[in-house]
Amino acid sequence: MHIAIVTTYPPGKGTLNEYAYHFVRALRTKEEITRVTLLVDDLPDGAAYPQPEATAGLAPLDIVPSWRFDSATNAWRILRAVRSVDPDIVLYNLQFASFGGTKAAASLGLTTPWLTRLADYPSMVLLHNIMETVDLQNAGYAANRAMESAMRLAGTTVTRVLLNADLVALTIPKYVEILHAKYNTKNVLLAPHGSFEDNAPMPNFELPPGPRQVMTFGKFGTYKRVEMMLDALRLLESDGYDDLEMVVAGSDSPNARGYLDQMKQACADLPNVHFTGYVSEEDVPRIFQAATVVIFPYTSTTGSSGVLHQAGSYGRAVVLPKIGDFAEVITEEGYDGEFFNPADARTLADAIARILDSDERRKELGLRNYMASQGLPIADVLDWYLLHFEEIIARHPKRAARRRALATPSLASERVQPAP
Amino acid sequence: MSITSSSLTPSTAVITVSGRFDAHQVPKIQKDVDGMLANGTTVVVFDLSDVNFVDSSALAVMVRTMKHCRERGGELILCGLRQPVRIIFELTRMDKAFRIFDDMQQARNALGA
Repeated sequence: MHIAIVTTYPPGKGTLNEYAYHFVRALRTKEEITRVTLLVDDLPDGAAYPQPEATAGLAPLDIVPSWRFDSATNAWRILRAVRSVDPDIVLYNLQFASFGGTKAAASLGLTTPWLTRLADYPSMVLLHNIMETVDLQNAGYAANRAMESAMRLAGTTVTRVLLNADLVALTIPKYVEILHAKYNTKNVLLAPHGSFEDNAPMPNFELPPGPRQVMTFGKFGTYKRVEMMLDALRLLESDGYDDLEMVVAGSDSPNARGYLDQMKQACADLPNVHFTGYVSEEDVPRIFQAATVVIFPYTSTTGSSGVLHQAGSYGRAVVLPKIGDFAEVITEEGYDGEFFNPADARTLADAIARILDSDERRKELGLRNYMASQGLPIADVLDWYLLHFEEIIARHPKRAARRRALATPSLASERVQPAP
Repeated sequence: MSITSSSLTPSTAVITVSGRFDAHQVPKIQKDVDGMLANGTTVVVFDLSDVNFVDSSALAVMVRTMKHCRERGGELILCGLRQPVRIIFELTRMDKAFRIFDDMQQARNALGA
């Protein structure tokens, strides 16, 4: 099966690039997959993606820049790319703002899965959030109530368009139930997020020497905000915690360019705050392993959290916002942490302090989160996807016939064979 | 919770699970399935008549088993799904992927066993 995936991908810095990396890594190991083509967003300044070399035992991987964040022509470019690579199926790895920070670009891009299906290519969407559960004002997508109402209406329309893909996968049971109830649709399904590491080794819960690090990780400026963490740091220092370092690991959200530069200026008086900038894949373990506690300074949430899965796989204690469906979602997934009120920096400082004050509590949370992260590996989740792929390919008779015609041993030979 | 395994025919095996079918049962079931497949079984029937809960790791073991059965030219069949279990299959759309029968007798009839 030749699969094309419309997604962000490292070194591209768009949201969901990390998830795509792990998804593709596991997908290439599946015997059913003969080739993976990533239809990715353009890198800044015309930079080229490194083309992966053929690796023994893995399906070949091609990377084809096919769209640009905030462009209105993405649907046309992606469709042209799909026709050019001619895959058996197209999977979209999306959230609502994947294609743009402007409403027009974001909405137009989200028509692509439907257009793909109309072009007779089987089309499946992995949708990481749904409009119905996003606090649009807090997440920075709507400035006021009127705008929020208008966006909800537009969101309903866009969701209906997205649901014209052959299948739409969601990572949270509640989201499936909401779409079933509101849209009376039968083509949505639950596909768990999956853990990134297969059999990740038991992490070391001891802390490295030096200052204790309070770390946050992600793409900042919309609903992930640093201000409250800075306020909490000031409060903790005034309470006598004088051995702390705050690490802001990551870059601006594509919807909030320049935000972290503003934050650097806002904390110029705090020499123990460090901004790492974009964290490359190989640096991710070091960043998490150095953290005493990982903070989720969210003012809103947009679904399950890939960062939480990563914090869990490295056995880190976490501090989480008490908002919306986030607590419900993470509890369902087996995670736990200390909670804070996102409108009150004092509660964040207190939640951090509870972990700083008790090594036993920190290790207990770290172990629990590690165990939760070791749930269903993403490789197992992919076996579910493969079943769904087969089902929807069968709904496109021309594609199904072509697959049957091509189902010869020569296809398997695309994969470089391991040395004997 | 209990797990029993038996043979319907030389190439068809039945695994009967009761209680919760979750991560705690998966290692034992996986071991049973691996043994059956190694001994020539190509068709596996999971009788879930007395199962009141399945989690994602249970679904994963059933998907893996189906994959291995198909590689051997066989199949995986499920029977006796109670309502809470059927809901999980519908939520994940796995009800479209598996052959599911109301009870063991129907599964036997379908297999001609």
